Amino acid sequence: MNRMFRKKQTKQRPDAAAQLLMDIVGEENVLYLKEDLISYECDGYTMERGMPRAVVFVRNTQHVSDVVKRLNELGVPYIARGAGTGLSGGATPLGGEVIISLVRMKRLLHLDLENRKAVVEPGYINLKLTQSISDKGYYYAPDPSSQNACTIGGNVAENSGGAHCLKYGVTTNHILGLEVVLPNGEIIEIGKEGIPDQPGYDLLGLLTGSEGTLGIVTQITVNILKNPEGKKTVLAYFDDIDDASQAVSDIIAGGIIPAALEMMDEIAIEGVESAAYPVGHPRDIAAFLLIEVDGIAAGIDAQIDDILTVCKSNHVRKVKVAKDEAERSLWWANRKMGFGAMGAISPDYLVQDGVIPRTRLPEVLARINAISRKYELRIANIFHAGDGNLHPLILFDANIPGESERAAKAGSECLQVCADVGGSITGEHGVGIEKSAEMHFIFSDEEMAAQTAIRHVFNPHDMLNPGKLFPEPGRCAEVKQDMKTASV
Amino acid sequence: MITPAIESVVPREQIKQNNETHHPLGNSGMHIIEACSEEDISNVLAYANDHDKTVNVISGGTKQGYGGTMKQADILLSLAGYKGIVEHSVGDLTLTVRPGTTLKEISDQLAEKGQCIALDPSWPELATIGGIVAANDSGAKRLLYGSARDLVIGTRIVYPDGRVIRMGGKVVKNVAGYDMNKLFIGAMGTLGVMSEITLKLRPLPKYEALSLLHFPEGDEKKIHDVAKRMLDSMMEPVSLEVLTPSTAEKLTGKKLHTLAIAFEDQENAVRVQEKWVTEHLPAGARQTVLFEDEARKWWGQFRQLGPNGYNDSVHSLGLNGYKGGMYDTDPNASTENLSLNDSNNTTDDLYPDGYNNESTAASIQATVKIGSQPSDVLGILQKAEQLAVVHHISIDAHGGAGHGISRVYVYGRADDVIAYMKALRSEAENRHGYAVGTHLPFNLRKIFDVWGDKPAYFALLEGIKQTNDPKKILNRHRFVGGI
Repeated sequence: MNRMFRKKQTKQRPDAAAQLLMDIVGEENVLYLKEDLISYECDGYTMERGMPRAVVFVRNTQHVSDVVKRLNELGVPYIARGAGTGLSGGATPLGGEVIISLVRMKRLLHLDLENRKAVVEPGYINLKLTQSISDKGYYYAPDPSSQNACTIGGNVAENSGGAHCLKYGVTTNHILGLEVVLPNGEIIEIGKEGIPDQPGYDLLGLLTGSEGTLGIVTQITVNILKNPEGKKTVLAYFDDIDDASQAVSDIIAGGIIPAALEMMDEIAIEGVESAAYPVGHPRDIAAFLLIEVDGIAAGIDAQIDDILTVCKSNHVRKVKVAKDEAERSLWWANRKMGFGAMGAISPDYLVQDGVIPRTRLPEVLARINAISRKYELRIANIFHAGDGNLHPLILFDANIPGESERAAKAGSECLQVCADVGGSITGEHGVGIEKSAEMHFIFSDEEMAAQTAIRHVFNPHDMLNPGKLFPEPGRCAEVKQDMKTASV
Repeated sequence: MITPAIESVVPREQIKQNNETHHPLGNSGMHIIEACSEEDISNVLAYANDHDKTVNVISGGTKQGYGGTMKQADILLSLAGYKGIVEHSVGDLTLTVRPGTTLKEISDQLAEKGQCIALDPSWPELATIGGIVAANDSGAKRLLYGSARDLVIGTRIVYPDGRVIRMGGKVVKNVAGYDMNKLFIGAMGTLGVMSEITLKLRPLPKYEALSLLHFPEGDEKKIHDVAKRMLDSMMEPVSLEVLTPSTAEKLTGKKLHTLAIAFEDQENAVRVQEKWVTEHLPAGARQTVLFEDEARKWWGQFRQLGPNGYNDSVHSLGLNGYKGGMYDTDPNASTENLSLNDSNNTTDDLYPDGYNNESTAASIQATVKIGSQPSDVLGILQKAEQLAVVHHISIDAHGGAGHGISRVYVYGRADDVIAYMKALRSEAENRHGYAVGTHLPFNLRKIFDVWGDKPAYFALLEGIKQTNDPKKILNRHRFVGGI
């Protein structure tokens, strides 16, 4: 009796909003206790955090619509969230939003091999799609490094890329249709049955990559591809990073579009060799290229020969072709561990995601190097070199006063360099809250206003994922201040 | 009758009065203004917006018969002279180009560096990149290479109030902000005028070949089987285009259902795939293989099927045996009020009296674009042939068994053509697809809604239009639901 009484006193009770959400989805599908909410304070970008008001797990489209309508009535803003692997804070509450979690909408609804499409719910995990169709010889092309955890709904929100998008394109090139709950609760279907070019403005293209600010995707029709007949993977070690960069340009200029063309520099190699899947890369090289060619088997050897020739003419130290699938898989596991591996050589790291015209690679790398010296922070470089998508990883220790702040500044300067050479501040991670201040590097106020005007059409009261993507006056200073106290 | 105001924004020699007041395809303008720069475009639009003038946009003119229920706007803004490559970054495989450049001009220049834009719409020597992107035009090879939405990475857009807004960028991968480019691709110029377009390029294929498979009458089902088998194989066809017999006859000399399978790759890879096709050839089907120049020449002819904005009378008179048949334009339509000063001009000509019995007797040509499941393409083409007989019209038709877009070129009396298009639309809709009239004489566009029914989410489309072009000055009534 006494114990029960005590428990009752200390137990936090659902507030009115949480109670109303329970009416829709059931008591067991709403989190409202502080200890339960803590893991929803941020996504894969951990430098900024905010507490959600509640987390609601929806199971179907109607739930999403009902929840959205109820929250609109209450005036409580909301954020759609998948696996929370996003790297720019797109699913991070700024404070007090309700998180609509889509992880329990995770079914593969329909498979139509003849028309090469699959219909999935947003919480369906990226890699599971490929796994579930691989026995029939098909796969889903977009392959972000987090593909064994991230959801396809999240991929749509962020227009995710991956190592193989050089040849096969990013998420937007593979989305055929969407069912969407609009911020007014209305359910719409665009790209009906995945049929291309349907009359009207291309809302599929607009919504993909809108970072969950225009609508909540509840069903996705994706294009699936047949496995390539042949595939070969090359690893090339270079003593000079400029040679490696030149090799990248020469391969592309030679008329070859590899499926993937990845680069890692010395510090990044140090990281991945200390992590779970060491390959035994030499530690004294300046960079390596991981190059994959796929397609009709008969055409691959000629391309591999061309690639080997290019590498040799750019003073490659050693170049080898993967001898079997096991070796190829190891090379890729080593590469895909890239970000996580930084934990092995640094207490904390910050990853950036700038894009540059690939011909400017040597110049940009030199400038990133200068930034590293200026801030006295090591910067590892892992990048999708083929499409000019850089991932400078800024290594720091949050426990050393001022380092987090310096890391953030160094990251921002790296993005400025990308902008200066005619590139972009993000190639696949999105703007979120992390890079909203840097939007100014590439867009004028007028250009951003043209975009927010479109947001207004879908999300007029800014109830859905407010405060993301676009800088708000005054927020810059706030963020910088938060950065000082951020723990990573 | 040009006002001093407009003369102050564009030099007088760039403005001329349009003497062809009744273009049979509509989408014209009382005054033609040639844009020679982005600034010209901006100035003209800002002028029009300030003075409540409507503006139609044109460059190559190949899509003048595509959508639109306004015979002429106050201004016809021509981008035909605003052409040229701004930047070709060979090592980055990117190109920035002005809208008035024809696809052929671009292709010729890129070919010198061994590159291309992987788009193969009709009439490349006439169609400009601005029009191709604005109309989201595509060809048979989209099966492997995708369409404009997969290739356009950046645009500069002149908004109706004259603002110049950059969308996307010049890098091949970019998720900063909304993917605004997409809004303008296929928007028929209703949201802004593209003054610069940046595209991803591809290396020219090292080698190419084309297999033409001819199927005897009654064996059409085998086309489906071959296409299905090919798509389920690891072969990488660039096209799987089904041609109806009359179309095949023009292009191959054989009046048989034909499947055009293209391969573009390393020579070895192409030959292996050709061999695969030969080995999987169904009984009764015959195969013709064209290599390199021969294949390119064939595609060149393929891309000259159908109307191009200039050949309506040629086709209706000659190619298909129809007599007579220039357009009946409306002789009573107003020819006065040419002054741009007169803001009460009723150019918004939604219900003129141009459609009458006389005009329905004339022979015309039209084009229908059908979108469907790829697996429905053969069935739709067969139905298109059957309906052609029923409606006493003749057609050319082809469709992508791998990508789901079919094109039907229709020749016949106006009333028959309209009845046919309606029947074809119901057939497409029965299969959950759609049919859009991508070419139709102006008068007929008022009795056949070329876009079909509004989508359920039409309010969003209207909202977007309202946001970008609140006064609706640009290409008014050109798009879905009268946008």
